[in-house]
Amino acid sequence: MAQQHATSQSPIRIKTLPHAQELKKPMMYYFLRSIIYPKLPWKLTAWTGAGFPIELLWAYNVFPLHPENMATVAAARKQSQRLIEHAEGMGYSRDLCSYCKTNFGAVDTKIKTSLGGIAKPDFIAITNTICDTHWKWFQIQARNFNVPAFIFDCPSYVSGTSDETLEGYIDYLVEQFFDFAAFMEKHFGKKLTEKKMRKVLEKSDRLCQLWQEIYELRKAIPAPYSSAETSASFFPLVVLCGVDVGIKFFEKILADLKERVAKGEGTLTSGKEKYRLLFEGIPFWYKMKFMYELANYEAVVVYEPYTYSFGPRKPLNLSLEETLRHVARLMLDIPYSYNLEKRIDYFKRCIAEYNIDGVILHENMSCRPSCSGMLDLKEAIQKECKIPVLILQCDMNDPRAYAEGPIKTRIEGFIELLAANKKAK
Amino acid sequence: MRILAYFDSSHDMPEEIIIAAGFTPMKIMGDVHQPNDPADQYLQKFFCPAARSFLTQALAQSAQWAGIVVAHGCDATNRHYDVWKRHVQTPFLYWFNSPIRNDDIAKRFYIAELKRLIAALEKHFNISISHDNLKSAIAQSNEIKIRLKTIAALRSTKDISNSEYFNTIVACLTKPKNECIDLLKQIEVEWKNRPPFPQNKKRFYLTGSDITYVEWMELLDECSIRIVRDDLSIGERYFTTTIPEGNDPLEAIAEYYLTIPRPATKISLDGRIEFIVNSLRETPVDAVLSQNLKFCEPYAYDAVPVNNELRKRGFKVLHLEREFTPLFDQQVINRISAFREML
Repeated sequence: MAQQHATSQSPIRIKTLPHAQELKKPMMYYFLRSIIYPKLPWKLTAWTGAGFPIELLWAYNVFPLHPENMATVAAARKQSQRLIEHAEGMGYSRDLCSYCKTNFGAVDTKIKTSLGGIAKPDFIAITNTICDTHWKWFQIQARNFNVPAFIFDCPSYVSGTSDETLEGYIDYLVEQFFDFAAFMEKHFGKKLTEKKMRKVLEKSDRLCQLWQEIYELRKAIPAPYSSAETSASFFPLVVLCGVDVGIKFFEKILADLKERVAKGEGTLTSGKEKYRLLFEGIPFWYKMKFMYELANYEAVVVYEPYTYSFGPRKPLNLSLEETLRHVARLMLDIPYSYNLEKRIDYFKRCIAEYNIDGVILHENMSCRPSCSGMLDLKEAIQKECKIPVLILQCDMNDPRAYAEGPIKTRIEGFIELLAANKKAK
Repeated sequence: MRILAYFDSSHDMPEEIIIAAGFTPMKIMGDVHQPNDPADQYLQKFFCPAARSFLTQALAQSAQWAGIVVAHGCDATNRHYDVWKRHVQTPFLYWFNSPIRNDDIAKRFYIAELKRLIAALEKHFNISISHDNLKSAIAQSNEIKIRLKTIAALRSTKDISNSEYFNTIVACLTKPKNECIDLLKQIEVEWKNRPPFPQNKKRFYLTGSDITYVEWMELLDECSIRIVRDDLSIGERYFTTTIPEGNDPLEAIAEYYLTIPRPATKISLDGRIEFIVNSLRETPVDAVLSQNLKFCEPYAYDAVPVNNELRKRGFKVLHLEREFTPLFDQQVINRISAFREML
């Protein structure tokens, strides 16, 4: 039986970066505005979600309110269960997305922002690129609020899609960008200026460039930065792509990491990094200790496709049409929702580049799209990369799905497999 | 005529293209009597059981089909395509990306998708699909829709069981179209001579997830309720309108598929509600039966706002979440019977 290191010796800790606490700055910037702006009649706000090019909103000077992000706040503040149960009391099935139900509960109970509440927006802007839930949920709320909704229809980029067909999908999305411009002009009299859009894209690209540099440093052994921290620190990528405040924070994090790598230090207690893991899926927001507790088994998560997905580089110095096509391509081709063939190749590459010893796949009952093909993914990794894979069934925002004892048992079994596999190599 | 099967979570697959290509289009319906173990090797149990049953059927029967087309529908259809591509043995597997929007932009995209599908069929099967082939397929398809609409209207005046209606629709979705037309002609004569609507039955409107097996309709028969109107894809959505017979068949097909009553997998919610309300104004009913199959997310989402709106407008609504089983669920029977007694 795998033993927690802590039982017999001093506990292994995650050493946070010196500037980790500075995350408070972008968070304060965002949360204060998300409370104040909806109350100011001259400020436009929109609800949006993952997969939507948030830069488009910043380019229009629209402040993005993010129900998914607020749902994670509710979970971290131990509010999500009661909000989910409230939504189920409204008639929503237990099988539906826990982010969505947290939001339905938050709106209906008018919970305050600091606990995961969110204000009514001026409009709603969403896509179907991650899941149907996004647009189903937002459509219902737009109807409840009686505000206009714009839904980008992203064709599904399935395995085997030819380049020619993909270009056809991009044509369709580019037309929708112009339709979005017409939507903004019709409802709010707003026009997009190319200059402003380029400025926003530049800032967004800088933020993403820094994130990718941070990811490059995560390749170092020992790993300087784990998912225990990135699950929070990626926050600027979710809502602040296009403004300065996140850039400064990432620059400091990057500097910390460079220093740590130069010294040969890792995020775990010195000399204790034994297993390097990849965690696929959305974290358990109500139980972020999970990521920290892996340290007790001398394990560290060094790569997460989820947080990586939020930081693709943005097109600069292209014509307007090329820029739009590039953004459209990014909307269709997100690591979190790669088709199965691309997903397998992507995992194989990450496993090699980051020296991964094992993979945890979060079989998230709130995110069926991300679970589709997961059994094939597991088999492909085990067969081709010859490392253990653990499928952990749980939920990102609903604590009722998290069973402490069984999960601990499964993690311990997984650690034993990792140990045996390492020994055999 | 060889069968070209299709996986369609609503009514998004343009069957007319398959007919024009010289195949019999067959909607994959799954088999509720077969365990889903074959599909469960690749799909978790918390995926829609109907979609898992479709995969089970495809794993067992694909060798008998010329190929399979998967039409964009719910998340299950969209994401399971990759799993089908990996495990279902078929010489032709094609992804047809019908849009969720239905404006002019979507129409242009839909026509481009139709052209891509036609090109893929022509290339793979070494055939040519002419405008005349398409027009003939549209005419045949329309005849079926018109005949179905005529006999479906008899549900509210004649003694026609839920299971008879269901079996007729399924036949039209799975059998050669010529046979369907003959069948519908016979049924029309027979149903017109049926006794009047039984006084001991209640008239219901059925909405929600598609019913894919007759036993659930038999369960409703058992509860002494009659579905006289519905908005299912294996139901009225399939025949409520016809395809315009203009000069350009692709334009006509696009126009049809983007303007048929909206399922929960497509925008918009208000469009769905309006179709249901208009149907209820046309055909008075005692109540609305709303249901969703376990794990069917699109209809589980819609059920709350749709049912609230119907209640607000004065209709009596019962909502159920049902399992995928041919067995009569006594709890469901009790709930429907109790609701019926309250009417």
